Amino acid sequence: MTKEKTTFLSLLKRLPHMRNFGLIMAFIALLIVAAIITPAMYSWNSIINMLQNNAVFGLLSMGVMFVILTGGIDLSIASTLGLSGVITTSLMSENMNVPAIVWVLLGIGVGIFCGAFNGFLVGYLKMVPMIATLGTMYIFRGFAFLASGGDWWFPHQFSDGYVNMAIGRFLGIPNIIWFFVIILILSAIFLGYTAYGRRIYAVGTNKESARIAGIKQERIILLAFTLCGALSGLAGMLFTANYAICNHAIGTGFEMTAIAICILGGVSITGGRGKVDGVVIAFLMMSVITYFISLLPGLSVWQSAIQGGIIIIAVLINVFTIRSSEKRVLKERGALI
Amino acid sequence: MNDKSKVAVRDLTVKDKFSFARFLVQWEMILIYILIAINVYLMVMRPGLYFAPGTIQSIIQSGMDLSPLVLGMIFVLMLGDIDVSVASIMILAAMATGLSMDAGIPVVPAVLLGIIVGALCGAFNGILVAYCSMPAVIVTISTQMLFRGIVQVILDVNVLSNFPTFYNALAWTNIAYVPISLLVFLALGVVFIIVLHKSAFGRKLYMIGNNPVATQYSGINVKAVKLQVFVIMGMMAGIASIFFVGRMGGGVSSTMGIGLELNAIAICVLGGISTNGGRGKAYGPIISTLIMAFLIYTLGLLNVEANSRVIMTGFILIIAVLIRNLNKEILAEIKLRLLYQSNKNIEALNNKTAENIGNLKVLIGETKKDGKLSTTDKAEKIKKYESQIVGLKEKCKQQTKAMKQQQK
Repeated sequence: MTKEKTTFLSLLKRLPHMRNFGLIMAFIALLIVAAIITPAMYSWNSIINMLQNNAVFGLLSMGVMFVILTGGIDLSIASTLGLSGVITTSLMSENMNVPAIVWVLLGIGVGIFCGAFNGFLVGYLKMVPMIATLGTMYIFRGFAFLASGGDWWFPHQFSDGYVNMAIGRFLGIPNIIWFFVIILILSAIFLGYTAYGRRIYAVGTNKESARIAGIKQERIILLAFTLCGALSGLAGMLFTANYAICNHAIGTGFEMTAIAICILGGVSITGGRGKVDGVVIAFLMMSVITYFISLLPGLSVWQSAIQGGIIIIAVLINVFTIRSSEKRVLKERGALI
Repeated sequence: MNDKSKVAVRDLTVKDKFSFARFLVQWEMILIYILIAINVYLMVMRPGLYFAPGTIQSIIQSGMDLSPLVLGMIFVLMLGDIDVSVASIMILAAMATGLSMDAGIPVVPAVLLGIIVGALCGAFNGILVAYCSMPAVIVTISTQMLFRGIVQVILDVNVLSNFPTFYNALAWTNIAYVPISLLVFLALGVVFIIVLHKSAFGRKLYMIGNNPVATQYSGINVKAVKLQVFVIMGMMAGIASIFFVGRMGGGVSSTMGIGLELNAIAICVLGGISTNGGRGKAYGPIISTLIMAFLIYTLGLLNVEANSRVIMTGFILIIAVLIRNLNKEILAEIKLRLLYQSNKNIEALNNKTAENIGNLKVLIGETKKDGKLSTTDKAEKIKKYESQIVGLKEKCKQQTKAMKQQQK
């Protein structure tokens, strides 16, 4: 076999066969439409603003991606977010002088605990992920209420250090975006280049052959759920810091948006397929849609309808591009024979 | 004796006759015990309240608002799919009825219109799931947003309150001390039981749930069946809107019923329907609908606040599934961890010994029944076998000990 030279033209030819091609095209189309209708969107401030308000979804979808890659699903991430937000906020309002990094670590700790519980149920007790996390979704939300005692926290009860964890700026960009970018890079390295990351794909692709290959799938599933919980916990702390407001019901329904971003980004719900880059594009696309709709007067009631519709269309396109790429592979094999 | 020692011809007659002991410990019966236990508890703790007229009826009525959703969900879960858009479909159907009542359309067409809207929404889900082969979770998560979004767009912050009078009657009144909603629910339930357990359609659902590919190859149109199931689910969501709106006192706003779909799924799972598909019976969820109603009411009486009740619901869901999950494999795994110190040799030895002892016990049984032998011979033979069993046990114990020491 002679290796084809990679010229610009050949790259251009291969472009339509790329996994994320449909997604990128849709994203570009969306950007063009947005540019025509609301040119105000394209200012540095509004882009930063948009990313800052949506970074929580990015963290959540990054976390739930680990779980979906193992072939599971985690419906309890929004409740974990609520629980960690309530716990960190309530402790912070009583101990104003503690440095804020403690609260970040506490948030992650709460998340790890919740995620490990899920992972234990799914990995070691062999429960169906959807049902196990449906149960813990109720449980964590209930605990969030108990921890909050039904109270609300308002901006004057937040310490400056705590709030700065999210909205303080470093190089002109809010910290919450930095958090997201760091997590993004770490997860890309973890999934792509470490043994444990590859094992997550192996378990998601075929549990049985992963087991025969000597992978302890219980441990891998526990790891995936724990990572997911840790990121949700971090998201909970940052969410309360970003808006400087907290009650037990924060983030209700966020799990659906996070899962939707993952699916939109090409993460297969049956596991084993999907990469960080797709999820990032999907995250940007979702943020643009939300922001775009909020800029149009009188359209904010349409938000969930449009989001739902766009996910359906995007997944449809995704299904068809995967099908056509599989057909192409089959055809090439046929030509070889 | 020689004839018996030969390998027997495969016996294909059904050996599983009706066993009363097995009947008593099956999941549906356990659910009934739980229901009875809750009732007895209420009776003992609050006799004055329990025997007061109207209490039981109001408990049952409080749990009936999502009952049709449970019935529809049985079919969807049986396929191995899931539908989380049902609450949104229900509100959309309620809105269709309410708007057409406002527009002056008579009662019957208006109610039918609501159910048809539900069926159409279900068909939309079904086409995407069956014919576009998209995963049901994703489709229904997004249609949940879509349908709820449509309601938000049309209703905005308004409340529809013009509903037929029989909605309230259905939810709040009794016939001869029996709630009408319970009667309607049971009637619907009987239909679903017959369809699932006695009709060809029901058998197809079990087949698809167990193995969709094999079902496709055996000549069943899997896609069409899936579509039909989702349409039925949509229709049941339309019917559920009657129960729900009645329960809410005849008003609909766009934020009502959020989270009901998860309650419906929880009830189905508690009722023994496997979310992997193909396992479970229709009786279970019907009983567990009542269990949920009684349980929530009892917890309310015990001054457990609403959010602790939410925690309880979660734990009940997990424990119910865990009990159902306890199969031979997991028990063996636990035994291996606890008794045999994760040593597979010890496990194999013990299993082998258990098997040998089992065989000897069968031989003892055969000897006892053997008419040709005299009583003294019998006693001698049995004694011989028993001494063998004791010997095997001793040997197994010693070897296990030795192996454990070796491991240390």
